[in-house]
Amino acid sequence: MKKFESKKRYVTPGDVITTSPLRLKENVILNGKRIMSTCTGLSDIFGDSVRVIPLTGVYLPKIDDLVIGKIISVSSSAWFADINSCYEGMLFGQEVFGRGSYPTLDDMKSRLDIGDLIAARIANFDRTREPLITISGQDLGKIDSGELVKISPTKVPRLIGKQGSMIQTIEGSTNSSITIGQNGWVIVSNDETNGLLKAIDAIRLVDEQAHVANLTDKVNKMFEFEGGK
Amino acid sequence: MTNTSIIDKLKRTKILDLLKEGKRIDDRALDEHRPLVIDTGVIPHANGSARARLGDTEIVSGIKVQPDRPFPDMGDKGIFICTAEILPLAHPSAETGPPQPDVIELARVVDRGIRESGMIDLSQMVLEKDKSVIGLFADNVVTDHDGNLFDTCSYAAVAAIITSKIPKWEMKDDKPVLIENQESDTPITTIPISVTMGRIDDFIIADPNIDEWECLDARITITTNSDGNIVALQKGGNNGFTLDQIVKCSEISISSGSKIREIIKQATQSN
Amino acid sequence: MGGRKSDLVLLDENGIRCDGRKVNETRKIIIKTGVLKNADGSAYIEFGGNKILAGVFGPRDIHPKHMADTNTGVLRVRYHMEPFSVGERKNPAPSRREIEISKVIKEALQPAVILEKFPRTVVDVFLEILQADGGTRCAALDAASVALADAGIPMKDMVCACAAGKAGDALILDVNNEEDQAGQADMPIGYMPNLGKITLLQLDGVLTPDEFKKCVELGIQGCKQVYEIQKKALREKYFSNEGNS
Repeated sequence: MKKFESKKRYVTPGDVITTSPLRLKENVILNGKRIMSTCTGLSDIFGDSVRVIPLTGVYLPKIDDLVIGKIISVSSSAWFADINSCYEGMLFGQEVFGRGSYPTLDDMKSRLDIGDLIAARIANFDRTREPLITISGQDLGKIDSGELVKISPTKVPRLIGKQGSMIQTIEGSTNSSITIGQNGWVIVSNDETNGLLKAIDAIRLVDEQAHVANLTDKVNKMFEFEGGK
Repeated sequence: MTNTSIIDKLKRTKILDLLKEGKRIDDRALDEHRPLVIDTGVIPHANGSARARLGDTEIVSGIKVQPDRPFPDMGDKGIFICTAEILPLAHPSAETGPPQPDVIELARVVDRGIRESGMIDLSQMVLEKDKSVIGLFADNVVTDHDGNLFDTCSYAAVAAIITSKIPKWEMKDDKPVLIENQESDTPITTIPISVTMGRIDDFIIADPNIDEWECLDARITITTNSDGNIVALQKGGNNGFTLDQIVKCSEISISSGSKIREIIKQATQSN
Repeated sequence: MGGRKSDLVLLDENGIRCDGRKVNETRKIIIKTGVLKNADGSAYIEFGGNKILAGVFGPRDIHPKHMADTNTGVLRVRYHMEPFSVGERKNPAPSRREIEISKVIKEALQPAVILEKFPRTVVDVFLEILQADGGTRCAALDAASVALADAGIPMKDMVCACAAGKAGDALILDVNNEEDQAGQADMPIGYMPNLGKITLLQLDGVLTPDEFKKCVELGIQGCKQVYEIQKKALREKYFSNEGNS
């Protein structure tokens, strides 16, 4: 058996990662003694566990995730939002207007209408129904301004960076305010067009090259000639 | 393809704001087509074929030529039939099943543009008058939908027809018999080029991509021939055009048409 | 089956087949992935003269609603041939053959896909045959696997496919169109290479029990060769920036 225990390795579905008795985390299965990848990505052995970091795939909601959504339908009891997943996010009217309230359809539409963008959190997600989202909370609610940039959900951790280092670099160098949804939708706000475009370019670069070595250097290089702001 | 996509208010506002500044989302001029790439001979076993990519819209056209019975009142002309299908892999809202009205319209508009221009000299495709003629089928499949299927489909079909070969048949005992290795070029008289334009408020844009297409108030497809004359026309959408707008569209169709004709000529000569 | 061109030599005295191949040689295979803009996953394969495009959407909302499964995502496969893909122009409407092949390919992929995490959704696999040249269902299945991996659909293993058969009294790998028409047996095989499971198996023709066993073994060898090409296609799209794979 090759000793690749300590190295991240590129894998495709069915590839055997190891036969060591490790704990199974995301995107791996056990067949006999063999731990195999279920997706295209990077195998990662950390401590006594093993997982595969996927390079492609749909966003599956997780409780407490921050997501950017777009309202696609309104009834008198709830809004439904596109959250870039195979499920729609459901936001109850009562959550916004208060328990025991009975908003009319017009009440609902004047608060949030079709096409509006929102920052929300996944409040609940079980197998039997659509995920529930909430906009009560700090920095949540309707998004009034900013550009919506869409990246692959699998690239979000890289865009955030270790302890937020990558996103802070981009925000700081361009003077932008950036909200990253775990679902791969990102809102970039900047009064200044130049900074806005530079920030969007940097985000797109991370999306394209999330798993390339020295990505951090490349992003830093983008801002070198800006001279800081 | 049923229009299940929600009209995006934000998107339409953004597109209109840009148009007021004379710009479009992808930096094109209002009367400019997206980059067009044509590859011919992509289906070598067919009698002719081409793949057209207009921006990110992609269509493959395959030509099959085989003997057929003539239409009852046209015994001295070969047959030309054009079909179209939006493959379900082309777009998330593309559906399987019998063709919807918009796909049928697409096929018929492309067909008319080619037929009315007289592009194929059907009188040279007769084996025995009133009994047996040559049928040329242009089957077009959309593999990626990013707006303006009318033009992309037409360019793919035209390029495929230009580069297709007609086998030779001889009548023996009242039946057409294939004579191997004696193919000839398809008899072409002109190269029809379709140009599709749309109207958003008072702005006329050529070759709308899918985002623009969803925001159009009305659209029009105009086909011109190699002489710069207009041979076919189709207006669509739920709103109208003023006379001035129609005239402007006809002018764009002639100027853009001749540019695109050159691209197709280049692509089909290198075959 | 049954003989057609009686002057076609399927296997000459040097063990060379009608298209110049040896008995255990496949035709040339090329696979590219990520070739469509709209599809969630896609692949294009050229397998000999076969040219096939695969597109995957999903997991996504399912219509009609009554097809939804509350416990797991559902897999749908549509195998469809273009009118210009075969010698005599084919009617665009789905034929019984296409419907059967759609079902057989679906059942070849079902054991591999893991859809329990996506109840009430569907994964749609669309296989378009642009040019057919014998062995389309195997080539289509090869492209389908790659497209599913490109879309990030979780899978226990890839599914690779290749046909084996008999022509000119010899067991051959990867039956082409002429061998299919005039040969003695054609056996398409779909195989999960790491789990060692056969998920597609059909037979047209006559084989002795011993020939049958050898033919399956030969086919599995071919499947494993295709598996390397499938991995290469995914590596080229996803791992090429890093330089090592």
